[in-house]
Amino acid sequence: MKVRQHKLKIGVSGIRGEVGEFLTPPMACAFAQAFGTYVGPGRVVVGRDTRPHGPMLEHAVACGLLAAGCDVVRVGVQPTPTIQIYVANRGARGGLAITASHNPPEYNALKLFNSSGLFFNSYERSELIDLYHQSNFHHATNDAIGWVHADYGRPAGIHIERVLAHVDKDRIRRAGFRVAVDAVNGAGSEMTVEFLGEYLGCELVPLAVDPHKPFPRVAEPRPDTLGELAAAVKEFGCHAGFAQDPDADRLAVVAENGRVLDNDDVLALVVDAVLEKQPGDVVVNLTTSAVIEDVARRYGCRVHRTPVGEANVVERLLATRAVIGGEGSNGGVIFPAVHPCRDSYTGMAFLLDRMAATGKTVSELAAGLPRYVRRQTKVAFEHGPLGGVMQALEERYQGAETDRRDGLKLIWPDRWVHVRASNTEPVMRIAVEARSAEEAERLFSEVQGIVAS
Amino acid sequence: MLRISHVGLRGVVGRGLTAAHVLDFAAAFGTFLEPGCRVVIGRDPRASGIMLREGVLAGLTACGHDVVDLGVVSTPVIQHCIRNLEAGGGVSIGASHNTADWNALKFFGPEGIYLSTAEAGELLDIYHLRRFDFAPWDRTGKAVEEPCAAEAIDSYVAVLGEHYDFEKLRRFRVVVDCSNGTSSMILRRLEQRYGLDMVLINERTEGRRFAHDPATNRETVALQLAPLVKPLGADAGFLFDIDSDRVALATETGEAVSEEMVLPLLADYLLPRREGKLVITNLSTTALVEEVARRHGGKVIRVPVGRQAAIDALTSYRPEQVAIAGEGTGAVMMSQFRFVYDGIAAMLAVLTMMAEQGRRLSEILAGYPVYKMLKTQLPLVSARVPELLTELQERYGSGRVNTTDGLRVDWPDRWFHVRVSQTEPVIRVIAERRDEEPRELFEELVEAVRRLD
Repeated sequence: MKVRQHKLKIGVSGIRGEVGEFLTPPMACAFAQAFGTYVGPGRVVVGRDTRPHGPMLEHAVACGLLAAGCDVVRVGVQPTPTIQIYVANRGARGGLAITASHNPPEYNALKLFNSSGLFFNSYERSELIDLYHQSNFHHATNDAIGWVHADYGRPAGIHIERVLAHVDKDRIRRAGFRVAVDAVNGAGSEMTVEFLGEYLGCELVPLAVDPHKPFPRVAEPRPDTLGELAAAVKEFGCHAGFAQDPDADRLAVVAENGRVLDNDDVLALVVDAVLEKQPGDVVVNLTTSAVIEDVARRYGCRVHRTPVGEANVVERLLATRAVIGGEGSNGGVIFPAVHPCRDSYTGMAFLLDRMAATGKTVSELAAGLPRYVRRQTKVAFEHGPLGGVMQALEERYQGAETDRRDGLKLIWPDRWVHVRASNTEPVMRIAVEARSAEEAERLFSEVQGIVAS
Repeated sequence: MLRISHVGLRGVVGRGLTAAHVLDFAAAFGTFLEPGCRVVIGRDPRASGIMLREGVLAGLTACGHDVVDLGVVSTPVIQHCIRNLEAGGGVSIGASHNTADWNALKFFGPEGIYLSTAEAGELLDIYHLRRFDFAPWDRTGKAVEEPCAAEAIDSYVAVLGEHYDFEKLRRFRVVVDCSNGTSSMILRRLEQRYGLDMVLINERTEGRRFAHDPATNRETVALQLAPLVKPLGADAGFLFDIDSDRVALATETGEAVSEEMVLPLLADYLLPRREGKLVITNLSTTALVEEVARRHGGKVIRVPVGRQAAIDALTSYRPEQVAIAGEGTGAVMMSQFRFVYDGIAAMLAVLTMMAEQGRRLSEILAGYPVYKMLKTQLPLVSARVPELLTELQERYGSGRVNTTDGLRVDWPDRWFHVRVSQTEPVIRVIAERRDEEPRELFEELVEAVRRLD
C-alpha cells in the first residue's frame, strides 16, 4: 500500500509541514496575514520553540501580521501554554506559537490562539482557512502599520505564578526533591530549570536543557524515547524524572525506580489530586484510560468523553465547567484554573505536591491506581478502510456499548477498543485496554486480525 | 501602485505593494546571491519599513543567509557596510524621495554596488518563476544585530574623514533640512567628530508623514530651508531626501538653487582633481554639464533616464576613466566613493569647493552661465509615441539627434528631450536654452504632443 508523504498540511488544524521545500516563508506569511485579518488590528503575541528554522518563520509571521495592521508582541522561545496564558493575561487579540509540538525537528507549524489564549474552535478555524484560501487579506497602509514589541522576560513568571497558586510551594521546597529533567532542548529548557530549581527548590539533574542545541532524542516523550532520563533517575537517585516535548505542553514522568509511567496514570494522579481539593466534572478524550472514571468515582464526580484533540477537550471542558481534564496517551494535563490548555508545569507541580503531602514515592502513588493494561499501535492508512473496519468490529463485538464520535469505540465494563483516523498523520490508530496483560493482548491481536483482513 | 523593474520593487504599501511581494522578492534575492553569504540590510524611517524588514529577513534567512540588520540608516551607509564586512550583498528598504506612503526594496551586490541590468534581469526572472532555493531545515540563516547602526555610521563617517579636510570646513555654518529622514544621524556624528557647525531642521526621523515632500528640488528647498539660511547667518543650506542619497542646495543669500546645478558644480570640483575625465549623466540633464566638462578637457556621456542606465554605463568604463556620474535630481556618485549615490558626500564636496576657492556659494554659482529649462508632462497613449517621435525628428533634423531614450535634439545654444515616463503613462517634454527661456521651442513641442492626443 502506498503511504502518503504528508510533508505539508494546510487545513482546519492550521498549517504544518517540513521546512525547506514544503513549508515556506511566503506560506507562513500569508497564513499569518489571514490570521491578522481575522482577529483584526491590535496586539498579537508570537512565540516559538527551539527549532533552528523558528527565527526565520517568526520573521515571516511578523511580516504577515504587520501587513494586516496588527502590532506584534514577540516573546521569543516560550512553552506553548506560557504563550497562551500570556495572550489572555495581556489582553491581546490573539497569539501564534511557531512549533510543530512533538513532530520531528524538520517540521514546523503554527498553533493559533484567540484573545482568551485558547485554541481556535472548529468554526473559527474553518473561517480562517477560508480567508487564507481566498487571499482576502486586510492590507494596512503606512498610516496604520504597527510595530514589533518584545517581551521576553515576563511570560514565564506570569505562567509560573499561576501554577504555584494551586499547590503548597513551601511544602514542596521543604521536601527537597532531587529531579532529573529532559526538556529535549526545547521551549521548556530555561523555564523548567527556573520552575523546578528556583521556585520549587529541587536539586536538578539536567539532561537536555540547552535551547541552542538540537533535539537529542525523538521529540515525543514516550517510554521508548526516555531511556537516558530513566537511567539518570536511577544513577543519581532522583525522586522523579520529568520529560517534555519541544513546546513543553506534554509531560512524561519517570518514577524513582527508573520506570517511565504510563501517561494515563500521570493524568490519573493529577485528577486525583485536583478532585480531592475541589470535586467537579472531568473531561478526557475517548482514548484515555478508564482509570479516570475509577478515580472520579472516588469523589462522586462525572467524566465526559470527547473526540481526540486538545481543542475538543478544551471546548467541552469550558462548556461543562469541568475542574480538570486532559488527554492520557498524549501526556496532556489540562487544568482550567491555571489555563484551559495542555500544560506540563501543572502536571509537575501537582505530582510534586502529592509526593510532598503523602510522603510517597512516584511508584507508590502509581500503585494506588486501579491497574489497567493498554496496547496501542498505528497502521498506514488510505482513506476508506476505516469504515469497513468499524463495520467489522461492530459485527464481531455485538454486546459492546458503542461510541462513534471519533472513529469507533467499543466499551465493556472491564475493557474497551478504539479505532480512529489520526488528525495529523495518514494513519489509523488502534488502542485497547483491559484489566490484565493477557486479556489486553488477546483483544489487541483479535482487533489487529480484523483490521488486517 | 506597484512597480517591479530592474531597479527593484516599489509601490504604495497596502495598495499595491503587499507582504507577499516582499517575501517573494527577498526569497528571489536570497536565491540570486552566492549560497551562504552574509547580507546587510537597513531601512528608512517609514512606518511600513518594519513590515518590509520582517519579510526581507524571512526570505533571506530561509535561503540560508545570515543577515546583518542595521535598522534605520541611510542607503550609502548600507552600501559602505556591505563593503566593510565583505558581505555578499545588501538590501535597502526605503522609498527615498517618494512620499511616506510608498516603500521600496533596492538590491546591492558585493562591495555595495548596484546590480547591473543583466543581474537585475536574472533577479526578476527568479522572482517571476517563484522557484526559490530555500535552505534545508537545518541550514536556515539568522538575523545578526552587530554591527549596530551607530557603529556602521561611525565607520562610514571615518571614510568621509579620509576624503575631506574637515579642518577647513569647520568655519562654515550650515543649515540642513533633513526632511525627517536618516541624514540627521550621520550629520550629528559629523558634528561631534569633526566639530562642524550645523543647524538641523526636520531632524527627527518620522514614520507616518514628513514635514514636506522629500523631493530634492528647488521648490522643496524654497519651502522651509532657503528662508532660514540668511537669518541664521549660515554659509549654505542643504536638503536631503529620506535616505540621504540625494541633495539640494540653498545659497547664503537664501536663494533656492535649481536641482540641475548639483552635478555641474561637483563636476567642476572633481574633474581637475581626478584622473578620469568622463562625466556620465542622462539625456534630461542640463547642457551646463558639457560646458563645465569642456573647461577641464572632460567628456560627457549621455545615457537614458533612470538609475539603471547610469549604472550600466559606469560598468562599461574602467573606474579610473570616470570622474562623476549623476542626474539633474541631486543624485550624484563620485569616483572616490566608489560610485555610490551619496548626498552627504556631495554636500562635503560643495563645502570643500567653497573653502578652497574662498568664495561664497552664491558667488561660485554666479560664475556659471545661465541655462533656463522648461519642463512639463502631457498625457499620450503609448501607441502614438513612435508617430510623435518620427514627426519631431523630421521637423528638427537640423540639430544633433540622439534616440536612445525617446528623442533628444541638440543645437549649440539649446536642446530638447521628449520621452515616455517610466513610471506614468505620460510624455515628458524638456527644453533648455543658454541665457534665456526656450519658450517658442517648448510651445511647439507641447503643441505637437497635444495634436496627437
